[in-house]
Amino acid sequence: MASVITAQNLTLAYEKGKNIIINDATFTIEQGEFVFITGPSGSGKSTLLKSFYGQIKPYKGTLNVGGFDMKKIKKAQLLQLRRNLGIVFQDYKLINEWTVEKNVVLPLIITGYSLDVQKVQAEKLLSHVKLADQAHKYPLELSGGEQQRVGVARALSKNPFMILADEPTGNLDEFSSGVVWDLLENACDQLNATVLVVTHKIPTIFNIPYRHFIIENGGVHEVH
Amino acid sequence: MKFIKEHLMFMLPLMAMLIGIEFILIFNRVTTSYEKKLKNEYAILVVSKRQLTTPMLRAINEKIDSVEPMDRESIAKEVTAGMQDSAMVAIMKDLPYFFRVHLTSYLSLDELKEIKQQLSSVDGILNVEIFGENYHAKHTMFKLVKMILNVFIVMLFVVSLLLVIKQMEVWQLAHKERMAIMEIFGAPMMLRSGILFKIAFIDAIIATLLNVFIFIYIKNSWASRTDITFIKENQDLLLNFSDFLILFVTALVIVAVSVFTVAIRSSEVPEG
Repeated sequence: MASVITAQNLTLAYEKGKNIIINDATFTIEQGEFVFITGPSGSGKSTLLKSFYGQIKPYKGTLNVGGFDMKKIKKAQLLQLRRNLGIVFQDYKLINEWTVEKNVVLPLIITGYSLDVQKVQAEKLLSHVKLADQAHKYPLELSGGEQQRVGVARALSKNPFMILADEPTGNLDEFSSGVVWDLLENACDQLNATVLVVTHKIPTIFNIPYRHFIIENGGVHEVH
Repeated sequence: MKFIKEHLMFMLPLMAMLIGIEFILIFNRVTTSYEKKLKNEYAILVVSKRQLTTPMLRAINEKIDSVEPMDRESIAKEVTAGMQDSAMVAIMKDLPYFFRVHLTSYLSLDELKEIKQQLSSVDGILNVEIFGENYHAKHTMFKLVKMILNVFIVMLFVVSLLLVIKQMEVWQLAHKERMAIMEIFGAPMMLRSGILFKIAFIDAIIATLLNVFIFIYIKNSWASRTDITFIKENQDLLLNFSDFLILFVTALVIVAVSVFTVAIRSSEVPEG
């Protein structure tokens, strides 16, 4: 298996090193793995996830994501990397002025896929997340659970090599949480995507093997 | 109401800039026409003991267009009016030749002085009169007005551009979340800023058309009725078809500059 993320003595900090969040972390994540990252509130879980899509640059050490050195990555390369990632947010981050259908195919719009491909992919994914009948609605007309399913569909729309999910079920009811976990499991199991999920709590029923990292006091430790 | 206000806040400074550009275009055309008129009406007076020809003087200075001999007899007649015919013959014998020397283009006073010097050194030429002060008095005034207008338009342009960028920032703020989401998913700047381009492009078309309509009205209606001779004389120079294209391209460039200025500044910069 090839490594998709390699961190070597990685330190993440805000305010030019005054506020260190992750300190001297070393780990490797392989293609097709499902990884949970847990830890107390404010421990730096989301910051670590942000560093994987270049929202925050390493302060010290090295971080390689999908073949890119995240410390030296150029703007154009960062955008290229992001176009091959699927990202799910706790607050969904949908474009409220766009229909559900258009939100789902945002990564395809950005890459320049034709309208026909966009339509076919939107229909397939919306049916997959059980929202086929909501395609022409706007995000604010949907419940939180439904919005998050749109968010997951968007993350899957371009068959990314890696999915990054920040508290994807944090605001959801049991049913929607179940749908989201199933979708992420399938992405990993059937599409061989690497899935990294930041969460407070690992679901009690989980059907595929996974790795578990805990962040505590700035350190990243794997639980075996 | 807010919608109209926001678009006016963008269009009015844009129109002010386009009006400034149109004024520069008109003034340049008027200047060229005025210089052409000055050139056509102007001639250097040369007094010579011998006949002069155009090739002879062009060899001295190629800015000389042609040499026109003046009628010696009429000059002699004026001088000998009321005298005997023998006086006329005597004067004709001693009277030098007079020539009007026309130029190829409008020349500066220094260039005229140079020509005067060159002609004066030609064997047989007795006197050269360039009428320099009269020639340049009006033109200098004209150039001064043009310079003041250009300075004023540049200042207007800078202030208006800042206002246009300010309004673009307001629109960018309204669409900030959408642009941020698109950036997270890897959208390039052109795509992220598409919404700003769309709004501004429509306003640019409207502003250009309004400007053209204003100048069409000035040219076809107001200029015919005005008492200002200068404008009446130059009515044809007020608006050309090519001006429409120049104004439209200028409006697009202003839109692109303002969108890029705002989009680059608002782009998320990785921390570290």
